[in-house]
Amino acid sequence: MSAATVEHTERASLEQGFLSRAAAWICAVGGVVGLLAAVILIVEKINLLADAGYVPSCSINPVLSCGSVMTTPQAEAFGIPNPLIGIAGFAVVTTIGVVLLAGARLPDWLWLGLQAGVTLGVVFVHWLIYQSLYVIGALCPYCMLVWAVTIPIFVYVTLRTLRQHSGALPGSVRRAAAVAATYHSLILTGWYAIILLAILHRFWEYWITLA
Amino acid sequence: MTRNTRLTLALIAVVVLVLGGLLAVNRPAQPPAAITDTGAIESTVLVREDSHRLSTAVDGKVTLVEFLDFECESCAAAYPAVKQVLATYQDRITFVVRYFPIPSHPNADLAARTAQAAANQGRFSDMYIQLFENQTSWSHKEQAQTEVFLGYARTLGLDMSRFQRDLDDPATAARVAKDKTDGAAAGVQGTPTFFLNGRHLTDLRGQDDLVAAIDAVLAK
Repeated sequence: MSAATVEHTERASLEQGFLSRAAAWICAVGGVVGLLAAVILIVEKINLLADAGYVPSCSINPVLSCGSVMTTPQAEAFGIPNPLIGIAGFAVVTTIGVVLLAGARLPDWLWLGLQAGVTLGVVFVHWLIYQSLYVIGALCPYCMLVWAVTIPIFVYVTLRTLRQHSGALPGSVRRAAAVAATYHSLILTGWYAIILLAILHRFWEYWITLA
Repeated sequence: MTRNTRLTLALIAVVVLVLGGLLAVNRPAQPPAAITDTGAIESTVLVREDSHRLSTAVDGKVTLVEFLDFECESCAAAYPAVKQVLATYQDRITFVVRYFPIPSHPNADLAARTAQAAANQGRFSDMYIQLFENQTSWSHKEQAQTEVFLGYARTLGLDMSRFQRDLDDPATAARVAKDKTDGAAAGVQGTPTFFLNGRHLTDLRGQDDLVAAIDAVLAK
Protein backbone atom coordinates (compact mmCIF):
# COMPACT_ATOMS: atom_id res chain seq x y z
CA MET A 1 0.00 0.00 0.00
CA SER A 2 1.53 3.34 -0.99
CA ALA A 3 1.67 6.30 1.35
CA ALA A 4 -0.90 8.15 -0.77
CA THR A 5 -3.39 5.29 -0.53
CA VAL A 6 -2.91 5.11 3.23
CA GLU A 7 -3.56 8.83 3.52
CA HIS A 8 -6.59 8.52 1.26
CA THR A 9 -8.01 5.62 3.28
CA GLU A 10 -7.42 7.50 6.51
CA ARG A 11 -9.18 10.58 5.21
CA ALA A 12 -12.09 8.47 4.01
CA SER A 13 -12.47 6.78 7.38
CA LEU A 14 -12.23 10.14 9.17
CA GLU A 15 -14.99 11.43 6.92
CA GLN A 16 -16.99 8.27 7.48
CA GLY A 17 -16.68 8.84 11.23
CA PHE A 18 -17.78 12.46 10.87
CA LEU A 19 -20.81 11.57 8.75
CA SER A 20 -21.90 8.83 11.16
CA ARG A 21 -21.62 11.18 14.14
CA ALA A 22 -23.40 13.99 12.29
CA ALA A 23 -26.21 11.65 11.25
CA ALA A 24 -26.56 10.41 14.85
CA TRP A 25 -26.73 13.93 16.30
CA ILE A 26 -29.15 15.18 13.68
CA CYS A 27 -31.43 12.14 14.12
CA ALA A 28 -31.46 12.68 17.89
CA VAL A 29 -31.94 16.45 17.96
CA GLY A 30 -33.98 16.79 14.75
CA GLY A 31 -36.10 13.82 15.79
CA VAL A 32 -37.01 15.46 19.11
CA VAL A 33 -37.88 18.77 17.38
CA GLY A 34 -39.98 16.97 14.78
CA LEU A 35 -41.67 14.90 17.48
CA LEU A 36 -42.60 18.03 19.47
CA ALA A 37 -43.95 19.76 16.36
CA ALA A 38 -46.06 16.70 15.49
CA VAL A 39 -47.44 16.51 19.06
CA ILE A 40 -48.40 20.22 18.96
CA LEU A 41 -50.07 19.73 15.59
CA ILE A 42 -52.14 16.78 16.79
CA VAL A 43 -53.22 18.72 19.89
CA GLU A 44 -54.30 21.63 17.68
CA LYS A 45 -56.13 19.19 15.45
CA ILE A 46 -58.05 17.79 18.44
CA ASN A 47 -58.93 21.30 19.63
CA LEU A 48 -60.13 22.14 16.15
CA LEU A 49 -62.35 19.05 16.09
CA ALA A 50 -63.76 19.94 19.51
CA ASP A 51 -64.67 23.46 18.35
CA ALA A 52 -66.16 22.71 14.94
CA GLY A 53 -68.23 25.90 14.87
CA TYR A 54 -65.19 28.13 14.95
CA VAL A 55 -64.59 29.89 11.61
CA PRO A 56 -61.31 31.80 11.57
CA SER A 57 -61.35 34.90 9.39
CA CYS A 58 -59.62 34.67 6.03
CA SER A 59 -56.33 36.52 6.01
CA ILE A 60 -53.79 37.68 3.47
CA ASN A 61 -51.26 36.66 6.11
CA PRO A 62 -50.38 33.11 5.03
CA VAL A 63 -49.32 32.12 8.53
CA LEU A 64 -52.64 33.07 10.14
CA SER A 65 -54.38 30.62 7.85
CA CYS A 66 -52.94 27.72 9.83
CA GLY A 67 -56.41 26.49 10.69
CA SER A 68 -57.24 26.31 7.02
CA VAL A 69 -54.20 24.09 6.36
CA MET A 70 -55.37 21.60 9.00
CA THR A 71 -58.83 21.20 7.53
CA THR A 72 -57.62 20.35 4.01
CA PRO A 73 -57.62 16.82 2.57
CA GLN A 74 -53.82 17.10 2.31
CA ALA A 75 -53.68 17.16 6.13
CA GLU A 76 -54.81 13.53 6.09
CA ALA A 77 -52.91 12.28 3.07
CA PHE A 78 -53.10 8.60 4.06
CA GLY A 79 -56.52 8.72 5.68
CA ILE A 80 -55.11 9.51 9.12
CA PRO A 81 -53.92 12.94 10.30
CA ASN A 82 -50.34 13.54 9.08
CA PRO A 83 -49.02 14.42 12.57
CA LEU A 84 -49.75 10.84 13.68
CA ILE A 85 -47.31 9.63 11.02
CA GLY A 86 -44.89 12.28 12.26
CA ILE A 87 -45.16 11.13 15.88
CA ALA A 88 -44.41 7.53 14.95
CA GLY A 89 -41.64 8.39 12.48
CA PHE A 90 -39.83 10.98 14.57
CA ALA A 91 -39.98 8.74 17.67
CA VAL A 92 -38.12 6.04 15.74
CA VAL A 93 -35.60 8.52 14.30
CA THR A 94 -34.94 9.98 17.75
CA THR A 95 -34.45 6.54 19.27
CA ILE A 96 -31.97 5.49 16.60
CA GLY A 97 -30.09 8.79 17.01
CA VAL A 98 -29.85 8.39 20.79
CA VAL A 99 -28.81 4.74 20.54
CA LEU A 100 -26.03 5.73 18.12
CA LEU A 101 -24.87 8.54 20.40
CA ALA A 102 -24.77 6.04 23.27
CA GLY A 103 -22.07 4.27 21.27
CA ALA A 104 -24.01 1.37 19.76
CA ARG A 105 -22.90 0.00 16.41
CA LEU A 106 -25.93 -0.81 14.33
CA PRO A 107 -26.03 -3.47 11.62
CA ASP A 108 -26.18 -2.36 7.99
CA TRP A 109 -29.76 -3.49 7.47
CA LEU A 110 -30.94 -1.14 10.24
CA TRP A 111 -29.13 1.82 8.66
CA LEU A 112 -30.67 0.92 5.32
CA GLY A 113 -34.10 0.74 6.94
CA LEU A 114 -33.51 4.22 8.38
CA GLN A 115 -32.43 5.36 4.91
CA ALA A 116 -35.65 4.02 3.39
CA GLY A 117 -37.73 5.73 6.10
CA VAL A 118 -36.08 9.14 5.81
CA THR A 119 -36.28 8.97 2.02
CA LEU A 120 -40.05 8.40 2.15
CA GLY A 121 -40.23 11.16 4.76
CA VAL A 122 -38.38 13.71 2.65
CA VAL A 123 -40.48 12.91 -0.43
CA PHE A 124 -43.69 13.27 1.59
CA VAL A 125 -42.49 16.54 3.10
CA HIS A 126 -41.78 18.00 -0.35
CA TRP A 127 -45.20 16.99 -1.56
CA LEU A 128 -46.61 18.81 1.49
CA ILE A 129 -44.45 21.88 0.78
CA TYR A 130 -45.76 21.97 -2.77
CA GLN A 131 -49.37 21.56 -1.61
CA SER A 132 -48.98 24.16 1.10
CA LEU A 133 -47.45 26.77 -1.20
CA TYR A 134 -49.20 26.26 -4.50
CA VAL A 135 -52.48 24.46 -3.79
CA ILE A 136 -53.61 25.48 -0.30
CA GLY A 137 -51.79 28.82 -0.38
CA ALA A 138 -51.15 28.99 3.34
CA LEU A 139 -48.32 28.30 5.75
CA CYS A 140 -48.40 26.57 9.09
CA PRO A 141 -45.43 27.24 11.40
CA TYR A 142 -45.25 23.81 13.05
CA CYS A 143 -45.51 22.11 9.66
CA MET A 144 -42.55 24.23 8.54
CA LEU A 145 -40.60 23.07 11.58
CA VAL A 146 -41.19 19.50 10.40
CA TRP A 147 -39.92 20.44 6.91
CA ALA A 148 -36.87 22.08 8.47
CA VAL A 149 -35.77 18.97 10.42
CA THR A 150 -36.68 16.33 7.86
CA ILE A 151 -34.33 17.79 5.23
CA PRO A 152 -31.07 17.64 7.28
CA ILE A 153 -31.99 14.20 8.64
CA PHE A 154 -32.30 13.00 5.05
CA VAL A 155 -29.13 14.78 3.87
CA TYR A 156 -26.82 13.41 6.57
CA VAL A 157 -28.25 9.89 6.69
CA THR A 158 -27.97 9.71 2.89
CA LEU A 159 -24.41 11.07 2.74
CA ARG A 160 -23.41 8.50 5.35
CA THR A 161 -25.13 5.66 3.46
CA LEU A 162 -23.43 6.66 0.21
CA ARG A 163 -20.03 6.77 1.87
CA GLN A 164 -20.59 3.50 3.74
CA HIS A 165 -21.51 1.66 0.55
CA SER A 166 -19.23 3.58 -1.80
CA GLY A 167 -17.62 0.33 -2.89
CA ALA A 168 -20.90 -0.84 -4.40
CA LEU A 169 -21.42 2.38 -6.39
CA PRO A 170 -20.30 3.10 -9.96
CA GLY A 171 -17.26 5.40 -10.14
CA SER A 172 -19.07 8.55 -11.21
CA VAL A 173 -21.68 8.26 -8.45
CA ARG A 174 -18.93 7.54 -5.94
CA ARG A 175 -17.04 10.69 -6.95
CA ALA A 176 -20.24 12.77 -6.82
CA ALA A 177 -21.01 11.37 -3.37
CA ALA A 178 -17.50 12.24 -2.18
CA VAL A 179 -17.90 15.83 -3.38
CA ALA A 180 -21.34 16.02 -1.75
CA ALA A 181 -19.90 14.75 1.54
CA THR A 182 -17.22 17.45 1.43
CA TYR A 183 -19.80 20.20 0.87
CA HIS A 184 -22.46 18.81 3.20
CA SER A 185 -23.50 22.08 4.88
CA LEU A 186 -23.45 23.95 1.56
CA ILE A 187 -25.96 21.42 0.18
CA LEU A 188 -28.20 21.83 3.21
CA THR A 189 -28.01 25.64 3.08
CA GLY A 190 -28.74 25.68 -0.66
CA TRP A 191 -31.72 23.39 -0.13
CA TYR A 192 -33.11 25.66 2.61
CA ALA A 193 -32.47 28.72 0.45
CA ILE A 194 -34.51 27.33 -2.44
CA ILE A 195 -37.50 26.64 -0.18
CA LEU A 196 -37.16 30.03 1.52
CA LEU A 197 -37.13 31.78 -1.86
CA ALA A 198 -40.18 29.80 -2.98
CA ILE A 199 -42.07 30.85 0.18
CA LEU A 200 -41.07 34.49 -0.27
CA HIS A 201 -41.95 34.46 -3.94
CA ARG A 202 -45.35 32.82 -3.43
CA PHE A 203 -46.49 35.24 -0.69
CA TRP A 204 -44.52 38.28 -1.85
CA GLU A 205 -47.64 40.42 -1.93
CA TYR A 206 -48.00 39.92 1.82
CA TRP A 207 -44.32 40.13 2.84
CA ILE A 208 -43.86 43.57 1.28
CA THR A 209 -46.68 44.95 3.44
CA LEU A 210 -44.43 44.20 6.42
CA ALA A 211 -41.37 46.00 5.09
CA MET B 1 -12.09 27.32 8.04
CA THR B 2 -12.74 24.63 5.44
CA ARG B 3 -13.82 25.44 1.92
CA ASN B 4 -17.27 24.01 2.75
CA THR B 5 -17.71 26.37 5.71
CA ARG B 6 -16.55 29.37 3.68
CA LEU B 7 -18.92 28.60 0.82
CA THR B 8 -21.83 27.96 3.21
CA LEU B 9 -21.31 31.30 4.94
CA ALA B 10 -20.96 33.02 1.55
CA LEU B 11 -24.26 31.50 0.38
CA ILE B 12 -26.04 32.65 3.56
CA ALA B 13 -24.62 36.16 3.07
CA VAL B 14 -25.76 36.25 -0.57
CA VAL B 15 -29.30 35.13 0.31
CA VAL B 16 -29.59 37.69 3.13
CA LEU B 17 -28.28 40.52 0.92
CA VAL B 18 -30.51 39.64 -2.05
CA LEU B 19 -33.62 39.39 0.13
CA GLY B 20 -32.83 42.58 2.01
CA GLY B 21 -32.31 44.34 -1.31
CA LEU B 22 -35.55 43.04 -2.81
CA LEU B 23 -37.56 44.02 0.26
CA ALA B 24 -36.00 47.49 0.29
CA VAL B 25 -36.70 48.03 -3.42
CA ASN B 26 -40.25 46.69 -3.30
CA ARG B 27 -41.64 48.82 -0.50
CA PRO B 28 -45.31 49.40 -1.24
CA ALA B 29 -45.79 52.71 -3.01
CA GLN B 30 -49.20 53.24 -1.38
CA PRO B 31 -49.12 55.01 1.99
CA PRO B 32 -50.27 52.29 4.41
CA ALA B 33 -53.20 54.04 5.98
CA ALA B 34 -55.56 56.88 5.17
CA ILE B 35 -56.41 57.92 8.71
CA THR B 36 -58.22 61.09 9.76
CA ASP B 37 -57.38 63.13 12.87
CA THR B 38 -60.01 61.25 14.88
CA GLY B 39 -58.40 57.89 14.12
CA ALA B 40 -61.11 56.75 11.69
CA ILE B 41 -60.38 55.77 8.10
CA GLU B 42 -61.04 58.44 5.45
CA SER B 43 -64.58 57.92 4.18
CA THR B 44 -63.42 58.73 0.64
CA VAL B 45 -61.22 55.61 0.74
CA LEU B 46 -63.89 53.39 2.27
CA VAL B 47 -66.76 54.44 0.00
CA ARG B 48 -66.10 55.49 -3.58
CA GLU B 49 -68.65 56.89 -6.02
CA ASP B 50 -68.86 53.52 -7.79
CA SER B 51 -68.88 51.33 -4.64
CA HIS B 52 -71.80 48.93 -4.43
CA ARG B 53 -74.48 49.82 -1.89
CA LEU B 54 -76.95 47.17 -0.75
CA SER B 55 -78.90 49.79 1.17
CA THR B 56 -78.75 53.57 1.45
CA ALA B 57 -79.56 55.51 4.61
CA VAL B 58 -82.00 58.36 4.11
CA ASP B 59 -80.20 60.49 6.70
CA GLY B 60 -76.70 59.23 5.81
CA LYS B 61 -75.93 58.88 9.48
CA VAL B 62 -74.67 55.28 9.60
CA THR B 63 -72.40 53.73 6.99
CA LEU B 64 -71.29 50.11 7.32
CA VAL B 65 -68.60 48.94 4.89
CA GLU B 66 -67.65 45.31 4.45
CA PHE B 67 -64.50 44.21 2.66
CA LEU B 68 -65.24 40.66 1.57
CA ASP B 69 -64.03 37.70 -0.40
CA PHE B 70 -66.80 35.60 -1.94
CA GLU B 71 -64.75 32.42 -1.42
CA CYS B 72 -63.95 33.09 2.24
CA GLU B 73 -65.77 30.74 4.64
CA SER B 74 -66.03 33.32 7.38
CA CYS B 75 -67.54 35.83 4.94
CA ALA B 76 -70.17 33.20 4.14
CA ALA B 77 -70.60 32.70 7.89
CA ALA B 78 -71.16 36.46 8.28
CA TYR B 79 -73.56 36.60 5.32
CA PRO B 80 -76.75 35.57 7.23
CA ALA B 81 -75.95 38.18 9.91
CA VAL B 82 -75.53 40.84 7.23
CA LYS B 83 -78.78 39.76 5.59
CA GLN B 84 -80.54 40.07 8.95
CA VAL B 85 -79.01 43.49 9.58
CA LEU B 86 -80.16 44.71 6.16
CA ALA B 87 -83.70 43.45 6.81
CA THR B 88 -83.81 45.03 10.27
CA TYR B 89 -82.38 48.46 9.52
CA GLN B 90 -83.37 48.88 5.86
CA ASP B 91 -83.01 52.57 5.00
CA ARG B 92 -81.56 53.55 8.35
CA ILE B 93 -78.07 52.41 7.35
CA THR B 94 -75.94 52.54 4.22
CA PHE B 95 -74.34 49.16 3.61
CA VAL B 96 -71.40 49.09 1.20
CA VAL B 97 -69.67 46.01 -0.19
CA ARG B 98 -66.03 46.23 -1.28
CA TYR B 99 -64.04 43.47 -3.00
CA PHE B 100 -61.05 42.03 -1.20
CA PRO B 101 -60.20 38.72 -2.88
CA ILE B 102 -57.46 36.84 -1.03
CA PRO B 103 -54.76 35.18 -3.15
CA SER B 104 -54.97 31.81 -1.35
CA HIS B 105 -58.54 31.36 -2.67
CA PRO B 106 -58.27 30.11 -6.25
CA ASN B 107 -61.63 31.48 -7.49
CA ALA B 108 -61.97 34.56 -5.30
CA ASP B 109 -60.84 37.00 -7.97
CA LEU B 110 -63.04 35.40 -10.64
CA ALA B 111 -66.00 35.52 -8.23
CA ALA B 112 -65.40 39.22 -7.61
CA ARG B 113 -65.26 39.83 -11.38
CA THR B 114 -68.49 37.82 -11.73
CA ALA B 115 -70.18 40.11 -9.23
CA GLN B 116 -68.79 43.15 -11.05
CA ALA B 117 -69.96 41.89 -14.45
CA ALA B 118 -73.44 41.47 -12.94
CA ALA B 119 -73.15 44.94 -11.41
CA ASN B 120 -72.56 46.34 -14.89
CA GLN B 121 -76.10 45.16 -15.63
CA GLY B 122 -77.44 46.55 -12.37
CA ARG B 123 -77.66 43.15 -10.66
CA PHE B 124 -74.84 43.27 -8.10
CA SER B 125 -76.95 42.33 -5.09
CA ASP B 126 -78.53 39.37 -6.90
CA MET B 127 -75.12 37.97 -7.85
CA TYR B 128 -73.83 38.65 -4.34
CA ILE B 129 -76.67 36.47 -3.03
CA GLN B 130 -76.03 33.73 -5.62
CA LEU B 131 -72.32 33.57 -4.80
CA PHE B 132 -72.79 33.34 -1.04
CA GLU B 133 -75.86 31.07 -1.03
CA ASN B 134 -74.00 28.57 -3.23
CA GLN B 135 -70.48 29.09 -1.89
CA THR B 136 -69.91 25.48 -0.81
CA SER B 137 -70.58 24.19 -4.32
CA TRP B 138 -67.84 26.24 -6.00
CA SER B 139 -65.30 27.24 -3.32
CA HIS B 140 -61.87 25.67 -2.73
CA LYS B 141 -61.59 24.12 -6.16
CA GLU B 142 -58.39 24.49 -8.10
CA GLN B 143 -60.16 24.59 -11.47
CA ALA B 144 -61.63 27.90 -12.63
CA GLN B 145 -65.36 27.90 -11.82
CA THR B 146 -66.29 29.98 -14.85
CA GLU B 147 -69.05 27.59 -15.98
CA VAL B 148 -70.70 27.68 -12.54
CA PHE B 149 -70.63 31.48 -12.53
CA LEU B 150 -72.02 31.67 -16.07
CA GLY B 151 -74.83 29.44 -14.78
CA TYR B 152 -75.65 31.99 -12.06
CA ALA B 153 -75.68 34.76 -14.67
CA ARG B 154 -78.07 32.70 -16.78
CA THR B 155 -80.29 32.07 -13.72
CA LEU B 156 -80.46 35.81 -13.17
CA GLY B 157 -81.42 36.29 -16.82
CA LEU B 158 -78.46 38.53 -17.62
CA ASP B 159 -77.40 39.48 -21.12
CA MET B 160 -74.96 36.61 -21.55
CA SER B 161 -72.77 37.94 -24.33
CA ARG B 162 -72.28 41.18 -22.45
CA PHE B 163 -71.69 39.30 -19.19
CA GLN B 164 -68.99 37.12 -20.77
CA ARG B 165 -67.34 40.12 -22.40
CA ASP B 166 -67.32 42.02 -19.09
CA LEU B 167 -65.94 39.00 -17.21
CA ASP B 168 -62.84 38.99 -19.43
CA ASP B 169 -62.57 42.77 -19.71
CA PRO B 170 -59.37 44.12 -18.07
CA ALA B 171 -61.49 47.04 -16.82
CA THR B 172 -63.47 44.60 -14.65
CA ALA B 173 -60.27 43.21 -13.14
CA ALA B 174 -59.03 46.76 -12.59
CA ARG B 175 -62.30 47.65 -10.82
CA VAL B 176 -61.80 44.71 -8.41
CA ALA B 177 -58.13 45.59 -7.90
CA LYS B 178 -59.07 49.19 -7.08
CA ASP B 179 -61.26 48.00 -4.20
CA LYS B 180 -58.42 45.85 -2.95
CA THR B 181 -55.99 48.77 -3.05
CA ASP B 182 -58.43 50.87 -1.02
CA GLY B 183 -58.72 47.98 1.44
CA ALA B 184 -54.95 47.79 1.81
CA ALA B 185 -54.85 51.58 2.37
CA ALA B 186 -57.50 51.19 5.06
CA GLY B 187 -55.36 48.53 6.74
CA VAL B 188 -57.47 45.53 5.77
CA GLN B 189 -55.51 42.29 6.35
CA GLY B 190 -58.26 39.75 5.97
CA THR B 191 -61.95 39.17 5.39
CA PRO B 192 -64.57 39.93 6.44
CA THR B 193 -63.48 43.36 7.68
CA PHE B 194 -66.20 45.78 8.70
CA PHE B 195 -65.92 49.53 9.09
CA LEU B 196 -68.72 51.35 10.86
CA ASN B 197 -68.57 55.08 10.13
CA GLY B 198 -64.89 54.69 9.36
CA ARG B 199 -64.01 52.69 12.45
CA HIS B 200 -62.67 49.19 12.08
CA LEU B 201 -64.95 46.80 14.00
CA THR B 202 -62.74 44.26 15.74
CA ASP B 203 -63.75 41.30 17.89
CA LEU B 204 -67.00 40.72 16.05
CA ARG B 205 -68.21 37.38 17.38
CA GLY B 206 -71.55 37.29 15.66
CA GLN B 207 -74.68 39.08 14.64
CA ASP B 208 -75.34 40.45 18.15
CA ASP B 209 -72.03 42.30 18.18
CA LEU B 210 -72.75 43.83 14.79
CA VAL B 211 -76.25 44.90 15.82
CA ALA B 212 -74.99 46.34 19.11
CA ALA B 213 -72.34 48.38 17.29
CA ILE B 214 -74.90 49.76 14.83
CA ASP B 215 -77.39 50.55 17.60
CA ALA B 216 -74.70 52.41 19.51
CA VAL B 217 -74.00 54.66 16.52
CA LEU B 218 -77.71 55.14 15.70
CA ALA B 219 -78.38 56.18 19.31
CA LYS B 220 -75.82 59.01 19.14
